[in-house]
Amino acid sequence: MNMQTFNLLPLPWRRPKHLLRHSLWCLLGFSLLISCQSNDTYFYEVNPLELPSSTANKNKAKSLDQYISILYANLFQDAISADELSEIHKVMESIGDKELAREVVISNLMNREGIMIPSDEEMRNDIDAFLMDTYKRFFVREPSEAEKTYMRSFINSNPDVTAELVYFSFAMSEEYQFY
Amino acid sequence: MAMNRRNFIKTAAATAGAISMPYILPSGRLFAQTTARRANHVVLVLFAGGVRQQETVDMRYLDGSQNEAIPGNIMYNLLDGAPPIDKIVYGTTGNRPGEIPIPAVLSNPLQRQGTLFREMRASQAGHYSGLNVAVQGNTKVTQGLRQKPINPTIFEYLRRHAGFMATDTWFVGNGIGNSVPLLNYSEHPDYGATYGANFFAPRITFGELGFKHLANAKNYHPEYELEPMYKMKTFLDNSFRQVSEGSTGIGNTMEEKLFIKGFMEEMFTKTQSGTITSPAVMDTSDLVTLSYTCEVLQWFKPALTVVNFNDMDACHGSFTAYLRNLHRLDHGVGFLWDFIQNQIPEMANDTIMILLPECGRNLDPNPIRDENNWFGYDHSDFNTQRIFGMMAGPTVPQDLVVGDENNPVGESADVVPTIADIFGIKQTVVNQGLLSATAMSLFDRI
Repeated sequence: MNMQTFNLLPLPWRRPKHLLRHSLWCLLGFSLLISCQSNDTYFYEVNPLELPSSTANKNKAKSLDQYISILYANLFQDAISADELSEIHKVMESIGDKELAREVVISNLMNREGIMIPSDEEMRNDIDAFLMDTYKRFFVREPSEAEKTYMRSFINSNPDVTAELVYFSFAMSEEYQFY
Repeated sequence: MAMNRRNFIKTAAATAGAISMPYILPSGRLFAQTTARRANHVVLVLFAGGVRQQETVDMRYLDGSQNEAIPGNIMYNLLDGAPPIDKIVYGTTGNRPGEIPIPAVLSNPLQRQGTLFREMRASQAGHYSGLNVAVQGNTKVTQGLRQKPINPTIFEYLRRHAGFMATDTWFVGNGIGNSVPLLNYSEHPDYGATYGANFFAPRITFGELGFKHLANAKNYHPEYELEPMYKMKTFLDNSFRQVSEGSTGIGNTMEEKLFIKGFMEEMFTKTQSGTITSPAVMDTSDLVTLSYTCEVLQWFKPALTVVNFNDMDACHGSFTAYLRNLHRLDHGVGFLWDFIQNQIPEMANDTIMILLPECGRNLDPNPIRDENNWFGYDHSDFNTQRIFGMMAGPTVPQDLVVGDENNPVGESADVVPTIADIFGIKQTVVNQGLLSATAMSLFDRI
């Protein structure tokens, strides 16, 4: 029995039997009181936060056709025709150094009418906005703070750098070869 | 003076250094040339498209192939022999198609200026696999079209072990079909794009498509425009860790790229003005390719130039066209050799030319007849393995014929150790263990 158990307590902690019985009733009543309370449900969530996408998941090299199509779309904001895609593919295949081939093809596209590049004035008026747009356009992501800082500083300290050259460097970059 | 241990080591080291004199390559690797160079330039002519022994070194013309007993040599710039005396169809057109043979360019055929390997063996019956063997020096060619060589090419061996720059090695292709552009470097993990050769398919690069998409390039200032562009590119690349061989290029330096772009500009100008260096007759795609090869040689003076042809493949459907193309390529190669000796002083008397087909063609014809009622030939039987080879130039034994039909000497895989031998790195290349077990330098076969 429980009573016997309590009787085993050391002397200073012994209580009269009626006190013990009252305590048990109180405990029982309190338990009932708690068990009858309404059961609140709590949902824990995080606030929406836009994170710049990482470069780490770009691990598939674009095919030559993909590269040309995306490049054309990025520079002209328009889709390349099937004929032109096939032609540029062939001339790029005819050059062994693919980096050189890209450089020459881009240099030719830059010389065409209809190319859509912000003016240098627009770029220098708001370099951060220009960089944000350029990263999104070419890399489909936002720049990190370190990237923004470097590029901003580079553009500011090099008066010869034009928006066209910035676009050129993005189109030539390794990251642009991957998706 | 008594020699103590320290003095002994010093003396031994100095002696060893004097013998092999190793140096650091631009790639950071240690290089030791094992033997003296035989020449400073090599031109490898892949006389490709499938060529039968019967119409080349056997000089049988129509005899035995078309029930016409008319023998003769239609390649008199390369081979020593009298031309056919009847049924001439391979020349330029007079009253009848092809009746006027093209005059010889060389008074002394190449055969007399070097060594003819009269009977060699090709291990592959296909064009691409045959070319693969020639540039890899390995007969284990299991990969099909659209795949790069699995073993290092001669370009990669030379760039990695002899320290050549990218513009020192050139591959000029007759086109971009049949995976030809893939042969400028392998997918071998220890070699690859970093050691690849520059490549042009001139009929595309400087043809109609090239004019449309390459000729109108903006001229960026190297210092004020290209340099900052490359600085930004380097920064972007450093932020990105994924690197593929195809995207990095073959390691042309910025100066080399400018040099190549200068060449391209020059080629567009010369093409437009009709002043491309060319032989007297230039009415086949192989001869167009050969003409631009002359321009590559004159501009870059490469250590190794490989040029690939293919027009002889017309033999599947037209024996007449095959004969015309053989005769024309002989004319072209004669012109090329003459051009090197007389128009490029830096390469004259310092160039070895190696020439061989990638495969032969069948002994028996297929049922297709051409305009002269002559049968075509495919490439699949044992006769396809029969090829010839030729080396000409300084340090090559002159006017020598090695082997015959009953005693074949040499194989197509020999090309790689032969070129390595010419540049003094044969043993280094052999030591990599990636050549065919039976491949050896043609100099060692003589």
